[in-house]
Amino acid sequence: GIEDLFTSLNRHIQRSEYEQAVKVSDQILSIAPGDEDAIRCKTVALIKGDSIDEALSFIREASRKFPIDFSFLKAYCLYRLNKLDEALGSLKGNEANPATMLLESQILFRLGKMDASVEIYQKLQKSKIDSLEINVVAGLVSAGRASE
Amino acid sequence: NPIVLDLAYNSIEFPSLENRM
Ligand SMILES: [K+]
Repeated sequence: GIEDLFTSLNRHIQRSEYEQAVKVSDQILSIAPGDEDAIRCKTVALIKGDSIDEALSFIREASRKFPIDFSFLKAYCLYRLNKLDEALGSLKGNEANPATMLLESQILFRLGKMDASVEIYQKLQKSKIDSLEINVVAGLVSAGRASE
Repeated sequence: NPIVLDLAYNSIEFPSLENRM
């Protein structure tokens, strides 16, 4: 049944077996097409498996059929595909949390908006995110503020 | 160019399947 499939899906996720996770998600979706957990698992597995184009197509297809908010994952895919303005647009309306703020900062960096990028990192510094300072330094150097 | 890490990638998580198994 569907519970066994989710158990199998969970095992693949724990082992970072993303192609297998996509396959099991598809099996679940063939039984339960609108299952939000399976849809999200498939999307994240495609992203983690570096199939960004496929992830974006799947998001677009699933968004047409089901009322699921994919805007953060969509923004991430658009960022990876260097569609930066579209990515920012997809982030709009998302609540500010560390994930959305990190992504916004990375998008702004690629757009050359270094000060705005660094400003977001400075807000995140109390969140204790691993390796955050590497991106802060990159932003400061690119903004000509290396002395900070 | 300075290196920028894709920290957003690390923040993407699978949903919890705890109640589905
Ligand atoms: K998620």
